[in-house]
Amino acid sequence: MSLLELNNISKIYGDLHALDNVSIHVDKGEWVAIMGPSGSGKSTMMNIIGCMDKPSEGQVLLDGVDIAKQSSKKLTETRRDKIGLIFQQFHMVNYLTAVENIMVSQFYHSMPDEKEALEALERVGLRDRAHHLPSQLSGGEQQRVCVARALINHPEIILADEPTGNLDEANENIVLELFRQLHREGTTLIVVTHDPEVAEAAQRTIVLKNGRVAKEIINENFVE
Amino acid sequence: MTKRKMYLRMVTAALLRRRSRMLIALLSIAIGATILAGLLTIYYDVPRQMGAQFRGYGANMLLLASEDASLTTTNAEEALKKIPEDKLIGASPYRYVRVDMTTRQQSFTAAGTEFEQVQKTSPYFKVEGEYPTGRHEVLVGKEIASTIGAKIGDIMELTYTPAAVKETAAETAEDELTDGAVLQGSALGWNDRIVKVSVTIGKDQKIESLTVDASEQTADIGGQCEQESFTEQYIGRKIPVAADEIDGISGATLTSQAVTEAVNHAHAAASEAQPQKVTFKVTGILDTGGDEETYVFMSMSDMGDLTGSAEQLDVMELSVSATQEELESYVSGITEEENQVKARLVKRVTNSEATVLAKLQALVFLVTVVVLLLTMICVSTTMTAVVSERRREIGLRKALGASDNSIRMEFLGEGMFLGLLGGLLGGIFGFIFAQVVSVNVFGSSITLQPLLLPLAVIVSMAIAGLSCLLPVKHAVAIDPALVLKGE
Repeated sequence: MSLLELNNISKIYGDLHALDNVSIHVDKGEWVAIMGPSGSGKSTMMNIIGCMDKPSEGQVLLDGVDIAKQSSKKLTETRRDKIGLIFQQFHMVNYLTAVENIMVSQFYHSMPDEKEALEALERVGLRDRAHHLPSQLSGGEQQRVCVARALINHPEIILADEPTGNLDEANENIVLELFRQLHREGTTLIVVTHDPEVAEAAQRTIVLKNGRVAKEIINENFVE
Repeated sequence: MTKRKMYLRMVTAALLRRRSRMLIALLSIAIGATILAGLLTIYYDVPRQMGAQFRGYGANMLLLASEDASLTTTNAEEALKKIPEDKLIGASPYRYVRVDMTTRQQSFTAAGTEFEQVQKTSPYFKVEGEYPTGRHEVLVGKEIASTIGAKIGDIMELTYTPAAVKETAAETAEDELTDGAVLQGSALGWNDRIVKVSVTIGKDQKIESLTVDASEQTADIGGQCEQESFTEQYIGRKIPVAADEIDGISGATLTSQAVTEAVNHAHAAASEAQPQKVTFKVTGILDTGGDEETYVFMSMSDMGDLTGSAEQLDVMELSVSATQEELESYVSGITEEENQVKARLVKRVTNSEATVLAKLQALVFLVTVVVLLLTMICVSTTMTAVVSERRREIGLRKALGASDNSIRMEFLGEGMFLGLLGGLLGGIFGFIFAQVVSVNVFGSSITLQPLLLPLAVIVSMAIAGLSCLLPVKHAVAIDPALVLKGE
């Protein structure tokens, strides 16, 4: 059984079919990229996978549970427990330090644990920047903090939205290297991007167009 | 780390690390709390402050004799015990009698009182010169002073004629005395030492018996006057006894004469027979703009010298700093429990005091409510700005799994924390504010209400909480998906 199954989902805004009868399966431990031009339904799909929106029709099975019909409160709990989010613009709480930002995620999930949060920073190579405010960190550093934050509660899926969109090449490589490491450790990764280089790093790429799956590409050159 | 600790860390960080933003909100709460605490202090202190002001306009309570009784220093003092000491500002006894000014054939009213108390109950009395302090000194009303041309330092002789003497002037004074009356009298004998007598009046106003106490005289000489051989000469005689009617003891002429004088004195005192004359020195001229200018004021002990009694009073004027209800309770307390004394309020003073107080308090209350509303609007606006500024952060928190309740708690927590801080500042500054107002407006300092600080804090927190309700509602409604759309 797949970890995530989108079965015949549609999202309809009036006459507009943002998603039109789409089906996708993602296995546990798989690294999948979702590509597509603007208006292809990428964002809508990501919102649905990220438990921030519900499809108009269809079934979304996450870990065997249909979340398509869940209440928004229940959906918040599911997101908190199963999804780790990484954003294009990093999004840190700007008046909290790096380690505190990670602890915020712990706070909403269960219990803040500074030691564990520091270990997560260690893992992304930012142990010495733990007590810096976001304004004192570079973009690459901020994104690494966000990766650490996404990992802290051991989610089923890491969902990344253009994770390298605001980064230079050096930092892009650092983040992709982190993803590879996560993949090796068995983390399920879904990366939404329009950058072919980022998509090529994944095992499989799903290309969306006009709300439908245009094609699926298996990356022959994938390096473990 | 516990959840609560993390919560506090987030809330305080939100306030402390975003100083410039939060300072505005804090300022508005603190200013609101300052004015609130200040006004409340004044609100509670106004009766005391204004009470003290009103006490400047004179007495607000009177003690009078009940029917069929007379007011005396003793029963008035007893009645005063019904009023708490700290509420009683002053109590001036007054006794009014008609006196004649011997040299000018003028007659006017003399008032006996206690000047120390008068200065408390009638602080508006204006005295040119000084209040009398010594024996036989008087304060002369301005009107009398101009009539008789009295000046400070002048000497004036006043005569008091007892009512009894006037009434019986045409009849014989003896009619006053009943059979069997025992009279006491004294006079100075040899070497100015006292001789006392006790006279019993018998039938037809004649002396029935006489006892002499000449113990201060020389025993073998003046002392002989105590013997019956001497005193029997008086039996059967009518008073006054003429000096030549009695054969003096040889060698003790002075003592013998003193016995006769003492017998005559005893009679005179008993019937309050003789008009009393006392010489006074004018120490000041009294200017009040009222009736008091037609009186001559002297101390109660001088009044005693003039009339023979320093005990009897006509009225006692009290200045009591208390609320209308308290005053009324004192009045009923005195009137019900004291047999000889009744109290009543000077309505003209107490009523206007109550009216002015009620209006002033209503005004302060109104201003307080307006200030509270303005503070709420100000805090609410600031918090709304804070929420819209932090839309993305709120979205992020929700994306990270924050429930609506968590968001609510965080923003209310920030608001409450601001309220706590603002309330503390406001409580302290409010007292200073009230103090400044009090000193400048009422001219006296204010007493600190210790309860005011917690009250200011609680009210500030409540207001901050209330003001945050709407902004928090907006915060909760923020869609977490906004953080993904790359806004």
